[in-house]
Formats: sequence, structure tokens, C-alpha cells
Amino acid sequence: MTDEEKIIEIPEICRVEGHSAVKVNIQDNQVIDVALDVFEGTRFFEQLVVNHHYEEIPHITSRVCAICSTGHVVAAAFAIENILNIQVSEQTHLLRELMHLGMIIESHATHIYALALPDFIGAVDLLDFAGNHVKEFTAWTQLRKLGAAIQTTIGGRPFHPINLHVGGLSSIPTAEALSQLLIELKQNEANAFNTCELLSGFIPKTKASATPNYLALLPEASGYGFFGSTIISSAGWQDSIQNYQEYLTEVSVPYSHAKRSTSKGQPIMVGAMSRLHHFSKRLTPAAKQFYESSPLSKGDTNTIWNNLAQAIEIVEAIERSKNIIEKLLTEPSELGRDCHIRRTEGKAGKAVGAVECPRGTLYHYYEIDEAGKIQKADMITPSAQNSHRIEADIREVVNSSISGDEANIQSNLETLVRAYDPCNTCATHMVSVHYKQV
Amino acid sequence: MRHEKTPLPMIAVHSLTGCAGELLVILENLDKLLPYVQVVSFPFAQSKNEMRPVDIAFVEGSVSQTHDLEKLQQIRNNCRWLVAVGNCAVWGCVQAGCAKTSPQEMLKAAYGQDINFDALPATAIDKYVPVDVKLSGCPINATQFLSVTASLLKDHLPYITKKPVCLECKLRENGCVLIEKDLPCLGPVTAGGCGALCPTFGAACYGCWGPSEDPQMEAMSVILEEKGYAMDEVLGRLSAFGAPKELFSRSSNFQNRKSE
Repeated sequence: MTDEEKIIEIPEICRVEGHSAVKVNIQDNQVIDVALDVFEGTRFFEQLVVNHHYEEIPHITSRVCAICSTGHVVAAAFAIENILNIQVSEQTHLLRELMHLGMIIESHATHIYALALPDFIGAVDLLDFAGNHVKEFTAWTQLRKLGAAIQTTIGGRPFHPINLHVGGLSSIPTAEALSQLLIELKQNEANAFNTCELLSGFIPKTKASATPNYLALLPEASGYGFFGSTIISSAGWQDSIQNYQEYLTEVSVPYSHAKRSTSKGQPIMVGAMSRLHHFSKRLTPAAKQFYESSPLSKGDTNTIWNNLAQAIEIVEAIERSKNIIEKLLTEPSELGRDCHIRRTEGKAGKAVGAVECPRGTLYHYYEIDEAGKIQKADMITPSAQNSHRIEADIREVVNSSISGDEANIQSNLETLVRAYDPCNTCATHMVSVHYKQV
Repeated sequence: MRHEKTPLPMIAVHSLTGCAGELLVILENLDKLLPYVQVVSFPFAQSKNEMRPVDIAFVEGSVSQTHDLEKLQQIRNNCRWLVAVGNCAVWGCVQAGCAKTSPQEMLKAAYGQDINFDALPATAIDKYVPVDVKLSGCPINATQFLSVTASLLKDHLPYITKKPVCLECKLRENGCVLIEKDLPCLGPVTAGGCGALCPTFGAACYGCWGPSEDPQMEAMSVILEEKGYAMDEVLGRLSAFGAPKELFSRSSNFQNRKSE
């Protein structure tokens, strides 16, 4: 058949956060058009926060996303503290970092096991997963409980933390609670190692993708980390996050509620693979060992390995969390002390705060007036930054397997999109292909 | 095997517009439910999902677009008990409580003049369909969720407390952060269920469970103003997590009287 037009349509991708669909138009065995349609209802957070006092902002922005709520809270706090010139104590900074690592562990574990793994092991539903893959189900349960326990100890609950504020924490966890976390962290090391081994064993069904432009925050200290104020690009430049509008462009597209980001005209990739690409040398020994024996260390940029990259980051997060707790317990002069936070008045300004969330760099920008109220806000999420690259990836995968089996192409596409762990904060699971003569 | 003799009750977990937090709570507690229910639909967690009649449908998120509304009506037509889970579904949460203009104006500001997506003003789901159980919280409390589900599986409607957070705070013997620390605590007008989480951590309740029964908004406004919080900030805080506008008639009357 000549002039055949084919449309691959995945009306709703399941096992992702939020709602999105994929449409691919094919003509004469060439991909004409790819659209990732994020049709999650719009929520306008940048406008919702306007006129609210800065103290309220972490609680409101937390609600952008449950699983990354800690990241939204910390990024907002960083931005506002930057404006108000607030220096938090080292203890507060370490506890925030610990909280953030809890989020990384919980989010990565849930993505790997509950959302992505069924693609690899062929589990059809949760009952099947829980009943027939007991070892994997147990590993997930234990890892997510660990992440939730860390966030509950520091933040008050597993997500939407209530204890983190601009300027500090409203109370400090006890030494006993931190010691308990240390025990749970050690108990979960084997789970983290096993997760890496499990994912290393998979053989990707799709071909490697073109090398992406990897963007990630340069960790603030010498180790691997998720906080920083400088962005680094594999295109060979670095810049302060305060200049994010110079290297990051967001545009609206008519078919999706998520905006598209490009960096200096190019699609970008953020997240675990990007962080490992830039900073693998800074990993703690256990995580480094897994990285060095992985396809990632050999320059394989197949997006499917993002799941393995996340597993390596779980190992790293557990090691780093242990180090933080040991530091807090051996230097306990401040531990347990009440730390009531007072308002800072009368300083207007604007600034950016950024953190590395599970899926990549998250930016929060605020302008506040002298009364401490938000006048303007801008938030750029990791999934929005990745969406352009996801479309490019889909185009490449479909083009390389265009003569293959239809069902395979669709399942490979879903696996691919899910590997990014897009958070579009699902309905009927349908995959349909339409053929029509033009 | 039990389910070969008597089919297990069927449940569905759906999501409209929200942060997916309730899905996470349900997912993380699903192992406790799986022996007693059959999950017919839970697209966040499983690939095979059907829209067919179920005993209980859990719905998280607010109605914020026509797509949500169509889905909600389909869900209502296909369930015996409809449970609104979380502040978004029960009150509309921040997307309702912090919105200052129409969705069309916000669309233009966010996406530019040329974009015209479908957007409805964010609302609780009971604006459109009858809701059998309202399970508030942002996020919901897992224990409340499990007890509500257990009640419905036994065929009776659950009791959900709407007594203020202060009650739970007193039971925990916390010091009062409003009186002693001058923090803008909304505990006196917010429904409990969280176990007075924020005050227990030394922080002010910010109202994420929605209003308590008979909330005294006027008294709350007066106290917060006495504590030095400006009235517009007080009203902003009181409405941020979706407390309905009619609750503020007395507060705004009070504000008007003062400005006369």
C-alpha cells in the first residue's frame, strides 16, 4: 500500500501520575508527527500563589504533586530564603536534605516496582504483582515504607510535609527517631542492591536513543546530591539557576496542557540518567560499583536505562541518608531544640530556588513585595522539561521499528514513555491503531 | 478459595484533577484491602481497567475540565457508593480556594492569548453528582480510609468526625500554638481527622482538612487580626484549602463594619 496513513494512538497512558496520551502520525513509513498530550486538568499554581504570604507558599506549592511534594516545598523555601536573605542552620539544611532523600527513595521505588516493573516481568495487575511476584512486591513495600518513614519523621507525614517552612523546621526529630531511621536504612540496603541487580538483567526491547542534552544541578558540596544553584549541561556550558530564563525556554503547544521546554533550541533530558551522566564520579562506593558495571557507564543512552539509574540513586540515597543521620547524632548540640520561626518583614525582591526532584530539575521563581506577599511566580517542572525529548524519543523508536509488529510498537512506546516516569499529575487503558487510505 | 464461592465486592479508584496524593495513600494501603475486594479499575496502578458497575467507587481530584465531568458522571452511573476522597474532591482544594479569576483569564495568563483549552472553575464533585461519603484531608488519613471502606463493605454508611482540630490537639495535650506562640493556627475552624498533626509539630494548622462543623469564621478572623495578621491574609488563609465562600459572609460583614 502506498500513501498509507497510520495513526498510533494511546489515549491514556496508565501507571503514570496524572493523565497523558500519545499520538503518532505515520505516512509512507515515516513518522510525520508526534504529540504527547498531557490532558491533566489545568491548575494554574503560578497564579494561585499570588497575593498569598510567603509563609503559606510551601503548603500551597506542595499540592502541585504528591509524590514530589517535598521537592516543591524545598524549592519554594530556597527561593524565598534567597529573597529574604535568610540563612538556615546547618541542622535545618541537613534535615531538609534527609527529607528530600526520603522522597527520592519512595518515588523511585514506586516508579520502578509499581509502575515500570510490570512491563518487564509481565504482571497484569496489582493482585498478580502482589500474589505472583512476592519478592519484588515485598522489596517495593519495604523501600517505599523506608522513604515514607524518613519523610514522616522529618516532615510529619509521608508527603505534603507540615514541618518544613521558610526559615526552618517547626520541630526537630528526636535522637531516638533518627536512630530508628538508621536501623531501617541499614535493613533496606539489600533491597536497594537487589533492585539494581534486577534491573541490570533486563534487555531493552527498543534501540538506543540519540545522546540527549543532559541538564542537571551541580551538587552544592563535593558529593552526589540533589541541591545546588548552578546548572550544568552536557552541551558544555554551565550557568546560575538565577538566569534560568536565558537557557530554558518554555512554550505552549495547542495539543497539551504541559508546556514544552527547550534549552537553547534543543530538547533536553533531566532526571536520574542526566545526574548520573554528570556526577557518577561523586557517588558513594556502593552506588559507584553498580554504576560502573552498568550499561550507563559505557555511554549507553537508551532511555529504558532510566529505571536502572533510579535504582542506583536509591543505593546512593540510602548511603547519604546514613551519613547525614550519623552526623546529626554525633554533633547533637542542636538536636531536640525548639526552633520557632519568626517572620521576616519588609524586604521585597525576586529569586529562583531549584532542587533535583526524582524526575529532574525543578525551578521555583518568586517575586515578593515588602508585605511578604507573592506578586509573581513561575514553576518549571521536570516532566515539562522532558516532554520535548520524549516526543523526539518516540519518533526515533517508531521510525526504527516501523515495519515491526503493531502490538509490539505500542507496548514498546508505553514502556519508553513510562521509563521517563512522567508526572502529569488513568481511565480506560486503550491502545488503538487506525489505518486509513489517503 | 473464598472468591470462587462468593464473588468479592468490587471497587474502582478514579482520579480527576489533583496531585494524585489520595491515589498514593490508597495504593500504599491496598495490601490491606486486597483480601476483601476485587479492584476493577485503578489506572494509576494497573493496566487492565474497566468501567463497569462496582460496589464502591473512590474519586480523588476536583472537576476542572469537561473531561473530568464526563468521567465523573460515568463513574456515578456505575457505582453503588461514591466516595469523594481528599480535599480536592470534597472541597476543591487550592485550585478552587486560591483562584482569583475565571479559568479563561487564568488560561490566557498561563498559556498566552492564542490558547483556549477547555477549563471549568475547579469545584468539589458534589456540585455535579450525589456523593455518598465525603472523606476529607490533604492527604486523607489512611486509618479513616480503611475504616470508611470497612463500613461500606458491611453495608452501612460510616461516621466521619467534623469536630475541630482543637479537640484532637487537646487530647494530645499539646500547648496551644495560636494562644502561646501567636501562630495563625486554623485548628478552631478546621475539621479534625489528622490527629492535630501541625500543632503537634509546633506549627499552625493551615486548614487542609476543610472547615469543621459550624466553623466560627468571624471569631477566628477577630483573633487572627488581634494577633497581628492582616484581614486580607486571614481571609486568604481561611479560604486557601477550599472552604466555601458562604462561610465568610460573617467575616466580610465584620470587615465591612470595621471599615465604616
